[in-house]
Amino acid sequence: MILYKGQLYETSCQGELLRQMERNINDTRSNRRLDISKVIEAVDCIRQKLEAGDYDEKLASLGMEGMEEQLKAVIAMTDRRALEYRLSVELGELKDPLITGQPLVRMNEPKPEGSLSNIETQILPLGTLFHIAAGNREGLPVYSVLEGLLTGNVNILKLPQADQGLSIEIIRTLVEVEPSIAEFVYVFDTPSSDLDAMRSMAAMSDGIVVWGGEEAVAAVRRFAPVGAQIIEWGHKLSFAYLSGLSGIKEERLNEELQALAEHIVSTRQLLCSSCQVIYLDQEEMEEIYAFCRRFLPYLERAAARFPAKTPGMQAELSLRRYCDTLNKIILEESIEEQRVFSGKNCSLTACSDRELELSDMFGNCLVKRLPKREMMQVLRRNKGYLQTAGLLCPETIRHELTALLADCGLVRITTVGRMSETFLGEAHDGDYALRRYVRVVDVEN
Amino acid sequence: MKYRARLFSWKKPFDTEQTEELFLKAVRENCRFQYDHCKAYRKILDYFGFLPEDLKECEDMERLPFLPTWVFKNHTLFSMPERRMLIKATSSGTKGKFSRIGFEFGGLWNGLKMVLRIGRWRKLFSLCPVHYIVLGYKPHKGNQTAVTKTAYGATLFTPALSRTFALKMKNGSYEPDLEGVIAAIVKHSKGHFPVRFMGFPSYLYFVLQIMEEQEIFVKLPKGSKILLGGGWKQFYTEQVDKQTLYALAEKVLGVKESEVIEFFGAVEHPILYCDCPRHHFHVPVYSRVMIRDVDTLKPVENGQIGLVNLISPMTLATPILSIMTDDLGILHEGKECGCGISSPYLEILGRVGLKDIQTCAAGAAKYLSQEEKG
Repeated sequence: MILYKGQLYETSCQGELLRQMERNINDTRSNRRLDISKVIEAVDCIRQKLEAGDYDEKLASLGMEGMEEQLKAVIAMTDRRALEYRLSVELGELKDPLITGQPLVRMNEPKPEGSLSNIETQILPLGTLFHIAAGNREGLPVYSVLEGLLTGNVNILKLPQADQGLSIEIIRTLVEVEPSIAEFVYVFDTPSSDLDAMRSMAAMSDGIVVWGGEEAVAAVRRFAPVGAQIIEWGHKLSFAYLSGLSGIKEERLNEELQALAEHIVSTRQLLCSSCQVIYLDQEEMEEIYAFCRRFLPYLERAAARFPAKTPGMQAELSLRRYCDTLNKIILEESIEEQRVFSGKNCSLTACSDRELELSDMFGNCLVKRLPKREMMQVLRRNKGYLQTAGLLCPETIRHELTALLADCGLVRITTVGRMSETFLGEAHDGDYALRRYVRVVDVEN
Repeated sequence: MKYRARLFSWKKPFDTEQTEELFLKAVRENCRFQYDHCKAYRKILDYFGFLPEDLKECEDMERLPFLPTWVFKNHTLFSMPERRMLIKATSSGTKGKFSRIGFEFGGLWNGLKMVLRIGRWRKLFSLCPVHYIVLGYKPHKGNQTAVTKTAYGATLFTPALSRTFALKMKNGSYEPDLEGVIAAIVKHSKGHFPVRFMGFPSYLYFVLQIMEEQEIFVKLPKGSKILLGGGWKQFYTEQVDKQTLYALAEKVLGVKESEVIEFFGAVEHPILYCDCPRHHFHVPVYSRVMIRDVDTLKPVENGQIGLVNLISPMTLATPILSIMTDDLGILHEGKECGCGISSPYLEILGRVGLKDIQTCAAGAAKYLSQEEKG
């Protein structure tokens, strides 16, 4: 299904529509600007309906996992005040000029001598955004387009293969509420293998927004025209860092460890922000073993509360781990010294190396040593993948460790229980997304 | 291999209780052979600190390192020079990877004794010639899969008047010829000689459905039988609702449920599992089944779900002594069946897998898709 200027078309019309799309987009961009306040209005209107339960039936038919949680998050995110707040946080002083079309006024900053006095700064949408959305989270394609609309861009969306019509449905509803949005959104269900179509969409765009793993990003880099900005929201890795546990009061430590365990189990370690490795600021393996023995009961308690895994999934993971070992035995590769502490539906693996890597997920966490002084050297090996560090340490050294983690390249530093919690106005992988979807135009008067 | 020979000559094919000791000895004997002749196998046992002679009690088989089928798809493990192997079979690798398993004369000889014993018990042999309808591949020199071999091999149980194949080689690939099968059924139903079906249950199901839709109902001559088999996949609990299949067979072909006989085997565990009159797969003396916990890979009690680990000392050429399938199953107490056989019976629930997992943790997509390669 294709959504083109608010109209639905069969997939077979793609070629014909693509041929006229550039003309249509050019017409839109030369004659009209999207009124961002109307976008906010429309989104808030849908939010109200969502909250009132108008779409409950439709949503129930999708049978999504953890629906209520997700819905709550969506409602919180799409509230008018939330949207306004987000624009303010991310665009700062650029917000008003973008929305009103008035030039940027810098009130309290007298210009130093020598600068041109008759320059006016305007904030405009980047232009046309081509969104290549991943299928790993429902609603992500729409979310991406929404960011494009909030910054006044024309948006071309390539749906992920897994999309079952939800994205088009939501965008149509948005267009119904606010018809002026129609010519700012084009949705195609082109498969990623249709390189010609992907190329022609990329050629019409000023920015290509790509969500997904390394393969998706690499593919986009191959076909994107040299001049286009590529905005990558790639997959990331996160970990917990524990230091000076003996200096933490028993009661608080207990709570924090339980919170960490619940984070690990409840996110199933599938998120960018999920803890894959628990690093201890320690030198000795004995300390790692001792921690595993201590932490396993917490993890087991959490696993009993969030039974999310099927026996088949667990079986696959156990088998894979076993096959990995056999493979190394047969090939006479060195087998990293590992000790697995198995619990019901979860496990901790004490590893002798220090690499930040993906765990077996689903409540199977890695535990490694990482003395503070080696942090930079080790973590830099994963630059470009670092996202959240959950930090557990005595308050006296928290500031120092936070600074060190930030210097290593981490972009979110939280308590260990809140690694995956989202909050209003948060940056996206170390960046303000909206800031990347606008451009600054200096005009000499 | 005197213990193996004695085990495979045992008179009662489901007398697992009386053969415990003998089975253990045969396993130990096989294990020693593999340990001495297959370098990779020895490395694995050494790594886990296990020696063949550690098999002192039946319980010790729990600790015998098992080899997942994945190993045979990714490594060639032979305990004999290839020239000594009579058959090299591959599993029907639907995902493109095959297990390479070799069989030597001694193993096949014992296998033959097993087939004869089980076949006689289930009354598969008769001198009366029959028409065969093979719901599977017509043998072709490019097709080494064991399914083809067993399906064809089973047509040798009784003298064959004719053989009709549901899958035929056309222009280099197999194509179903269900119309040809239906025409043959109709033709044979008018004759005097019994008809024997052999092959995949799903194909039989298609054929019967088409016949029902086209209102072609026949009554096959007395003595006609339906033999269903194939790889493991064919026997997942919900693959085809078996009761529906039996009812359809009676309605469309006039073949009673008791004449429908199912069996399965896997290349990695070439033991003939044949169902009892109540359609349960009891463990025969040649094999032992251990269900292992999905977390710890330790054995669980009967009635619990887990990974299916199969043990048999039949083969020397390849160390398939104790193999782990990708399947989840349950081992039930024999007496729950009620057919009179006391050995436990195996129920296969389906293949394990991590499909459809959504994630954004770096590297996860690649990691999860490794399954496709296995």
